Amino acid sequence: MLYFTDIILIALGAALVNNFVLYYFVGICPFIGVSRRIDMAIGMGFAVTFVISIAALLSWTITTFILMPGAPLSKFVAGWFMPPDAAAKVDLTILSYVVYIFAIASSVQFVEMYVRRFYPSLYRSFGVFLPLITTNCAILFACLIIFSHIVGVDNPADVWDLGKSLTLAVFGGVGFTIAITIMAGIREELELCDVPQSLRGAGITLLVAGILAMAFMGFTGVDSGLKKAMTPSPVQAQQSSRE
Amino acid sequence: MSMKPLHPMEPIEPGKLERLKRNYLVQAWLVLMLALFFGAALAGVHLELAPKIAANKTNETYVKIPEIILGSELAEELAQQGEALIVEPHTVAVEKEQRRIVYTIYEASYPDGKLAGWVAKSSGQGYADKIELLIGFTPSVDTLTGIFVLDQKETPGLGNKIITLDWRQQFSNLKTLQPIEVTKGGASDPNQVDAITGATISSRSVTGIVNNAVADLRGPLTAMANARGK
Amino acid sequence: MAVAPTPAERFIQGILPENPVYRQLLGLCPTLAVTNGLQAALTMAGAVAFVLFCANIVTSTIRHLLKPHLRIVIFTLIIATFVTITDRFLAAYMYGMSKLLGPYIPLIIVNCIIICRCEVCASRQSVFAAGADALGQATGFALALVSIAAVRELLGSGMLFSVQVLPESWPNWVIMILPPGAFMTLGLLVGAVNWFEQRRSEQAESERG
Repeated sequence: MLYFTDIILIALGAALVNNFVLYYFVGICPFIGVSRRIDMAIGMGFAVTFVISIAALLSWTITTFILMPGAPLSKFVAGWFMPPDAAAKVDLTILSYVVYIFAIASSVQFVEMYVRRFYPSLYRSFGVFLPLITTNCAILFACLIIFSHIVGVDNPADVWDLGKSLTLAVFGGVGFTIAITIMAGIREELELCDVPQSLRGAGITLLVAGILAMAFMGFTGVDSGLKKAMTPSPVQAQQSSRE
Repeated sequence: MSMKPLHPMEPIEPGKLERLKRNYLVQAWLVLMLALFFGAALAGVHLELAPKIAANKTNETYVKIPEIILGSELAEELAQQGEALIVEPHTVAVEKEQRRIVYTIYEASYPDGKLAGWVAKSSGQGYADKIELLIGFTPSVDTLTGIFVLDQKETPGLGNKIITLDWRQQFSNLKTLQPIEVTKGGASDPNQVDAITGATISSRSVTGIVNNAVADLRGPLTAMANARGK
Repeated sequence: MAVAPTPAERFIQGILPENPVYRQLLGLCPTLAVTNGLQAALTMAGAVAFVLFCANIVTSTIRHLLKPHLRIVIFTLIIATFVTITDRFLAAYMYGMSKLLGPYIPLIIVNCIIICRCEVCASRQSVFAAGADALGQATGFALALVSIAAVRELLGSGMLFSVQVLPESWPNWVIMILPPGAFMTLGLLVGAVNWFEQRRSEQAESERG
């Protein structure tokens, strides 16, 4: 039950409360560049969600088994030529950024090849966005958040497992899709408006994004409220344990 | 946005030399060399800076401990005398609702060995994000000496006033036996603190984290204090 | 481009005519995320400048060895390495700042400015030109960050560099420090830069005609 609560809170936080685009400002490039038409925006959103999940899967696996201090695989390999206590301290976290960016780049390449080969219709709808996604901050950002919840966590019970990491990634992508689709809807209407010459293009898009961000600020505090509602209060817990 | 897709490779032609030239490893020699070179550079940086970063991380907590336990005036006095509290970290595991919660506890003693107090690190959900607190206890664990906010991302100008000394000071000298309550406009009871105007939820979150930690730790800490007394 | 611009021209170009933020709209993540205070903005600008300069120099040095289909891999490798070094350096010597900037330092890796300069300039030009280009772009980026951060910090908390500037009676516009303020400030500043640019080109045209 507690695990379920955690999952719901992570999902809600990533998709709405701390929206990747409107709260953390990651993935702004496509948010401004590819938000002219709703169908393109949705395609981009799906592509990002897809890649972000794969990248999260990879980065969680790599961090847990290889990069973090005392990770099983690096401990095992280091054990061949090191005394066991030194091998247990092997810390490869300095390589994490390099490893993540290459994991992202190669997963984008593989996804592109795979989708082109086996799902040509899907490729036609969002394949063109795939190469652009490597430089999308949102993907690396999700990997970094997962990293910060695995390495250097005081309480072992708070270390994220694969389920929590994937929840963050998928719902982060959903949050991106929501933001970019709303933006595209507004921009389609904006084309009919008389925008001052100098604000056309990026200027008005950023101003609209500001208003959207303000709207999304209304979600702040929803997660803490929900957590309070979902966790039994100490008094109730004591009563139930007495019975 | 500037990235172009990589050019697909041309089909492989016959001929051994040609094939060798088109071998992936041969083509990628520059990548491999650079990777080796940069790997070595990163290893050097890591060896040089990792101890410093680790020291920064522990110092962040340690420098605050005298202030939390003794109050800022006494802590300054102690520092001027050239003395410092001796801090020893422990971990305390508490079983609660089928979950193991591990607290980091710092045991602070005067240079002569007398126990000065305890500091516990605890965190919980705030209004916007996680709030991380240091909570100070007197040696007998019946009173709080103060709190310090290590990390927070509350609303600037409203919720982030939880870091101000004025607000935090309300927590010093509160008894740990009953939970702390948050009131609006004038705390009257001895176990009450005033909420920050416009940031009741942030105030409640901090108080909740403190209450949880106190409830979890009063037993174990009292036991540790008693064991030390003998 | 008939004649390749000289290093000095490249430097000047980066500051306003080809300003990475206002003109090219590149690297917007840090521009929006770390500009709620001038100190954070300057640190970020310094970090980006270091990575951009080193990456441009290294790329330009090895430009004759680059294979077209492997160049992006090499750029990424170079950038990721320098970003890691910057990140560790900040954590060791400016711990508070490193904690404040958090994930935005590693996110420099995917900052479009750097990979774009490697691709457009450093992989084709001499080391000297690439270095001047990096310095120009970094100065332009720093100017953009500082201008946004100054507006946001001044209106949002009445302070500049955490020193009270406006009188205490100033009602702090908290929204300027929050995410919406970032979008709006950048949007309005982009509009303002466009407006000045348009006026200048109109004036130039009327003088000519």
